[in-house]
Amino acid sequence: MPTTRDQKIQAEAKRLLQEGVVDVVIGFTKGTLPYKMQPCFIQHAEDVEQLELNGLCSNNLAVYLNHRPKDERTAIVVRGCESRAVQTLVLENRHARENLYLIGVPCIGILDLQKIQQHEQDPVLAIQEEGDQVHVTLKSGEKTFQRSEILHNACLHCNHPLPVNADMIIDEAGLFEERTFDKSYLESFRSLSLKERYQEFTKEAERCIRCYACREACPMCYCEECFVNHSRPQWVDSTIDPAGQQAWHIIRAFHQTGRCVSCGACERACPMNIKMTYLTDLLNQDMFKEYDFEPGLDPALMPPFLALGEDNEKFGVGPEGSHAG
Amino acid sequence: MIRKKPAIVLFQCQYCLASSMDQYWVETELPENVKLIKVSCSGRIDPLYILNAVQGGADGIMVCGCMPEKCHYKEGNLHARRTLSEFCNFLNLLGYSQDRFVFHWMNIDERGVIQSLLTEFEKNLEKLGAQPHLKTRTFSQEKA
Repeated sequence: MPTTRDQKIQAEAKRLLQEGVVDVVIGFTKGTLPYKMQPCFIQHAEDVEQLELNGLCSNNLAVYLNHRPKDERTAIVVRGCESRAVQTLVLENRHARENLYLIGVPCIGILDLQKIQQHEQDPVLAIQEEGDQVHVTLKSGEKTFQRSEILHNACLHCNHPLPVNADMIIDEAGLFEERTFDKSYLESFRSLSLKERYQEFTKEAERCIRCYACREACPMCYCEECFVNHSRPQWVDSTIDPAGQQAWHIIRAFHQTGRCVSCGACERACPMNIKMTYLTDLLNQDMFKEYDFEPGLDPALMPPFLALGEDNEKFGVGPEGSHAG
Repeated sequence: MIRKKPAIVLFQCQYCLASSMDQYWVETELPENVKLIKVSCSGRIDPLYILNAVQGGADGIMVCGCMPEKCHYKEGNLHARRTLSEFCNFLNLLGYSQDRFVFHWMNIDERGVIQSLLTEFEKNLEKLGAQPHLKTRTFSQEKA
């Protein structure tokens, strides 16, 4: 009888593969470094013991749906953000929902290694999780953190940690309850003056080395040819000058309007620790205010930029005659 | 000291100016500080075009399209209205004031409105002064 979270995931994956419900199970396994987990693709029932899930799984697994064949029957181990990302991808016809089996796991949050490094300069050797506590083995000795101290910011601001529309949910308690979005950090950004906001944005964007790791980590960035890769005409300068850096961050975020599921995979992938979820969160907040839309929650609701409702009143323009410009 | 007039970029849908006199004026007699980008539909205006104009030094952006339900391509202008107004809000958050944007959805019986709109917009931009933020582009599109 499976008892732990990992065993329950493994048991479900084993059943799916043995009964031939799916061809592949996408989940996490131990990585090459002791405190890094890596995505894995399990195709045989005997390999399911590799599957694990803990707070160090920093990728968003929905990204692999874009790389796998469309008709492949796939099971994915999903947390809250991943399930919403899958939902959005299904809505955008990236994958058929009937070929997917979502193994939902109530989220325990993702740990931010940078936050540990802020507290301790020593190299991290290993990380052990135990309920709400996280034991970190440093070169100079062991240290224990509360989980909430070193959670990633995207997880601290997370609104829907429970998987949405999953086929089954692993019966384990997650770390969070459903809660209302903590908007305070966005409001404090909005309350800055025009100049301060520009400085804040520039301070982050100017560190960009244009590696596009954020794009590769993002499940919503699946264009065959990205706008930054066009060479004729070259829309965006591809070197690390301010014009190119700013354009990349502005347009990348804008393409996510009403689509970003705020998983924070882009920030975790960034080698320069550039903050960027605030951009997409601001846009999503606007979408919520104006169209009452949150990405990935309703399987039938199209994102606002795809569904063109009649919003003449909102813009002060009527179909005939009167208009306010 | 010679005061430079604010640089305005006018994005215009090719169907929105029903009056051929106005269209002729826009195409041939625009003042030097206004650059015309004529597009097939306002829905064709990618936010990237606007950002390129902003980064290239535009002090103001004007977008002209057809009225709702009057779009030649049925709903191009509805798309433009949603995305571009949000893009305008977004740039406002990043340092390019939303006062520097003007959206105008043209009615079919409007005559001589575009001239007065441009004059008024220019006056407003002169009040706002030079635009210091996001003006970062150094390479020229024409050379590429």
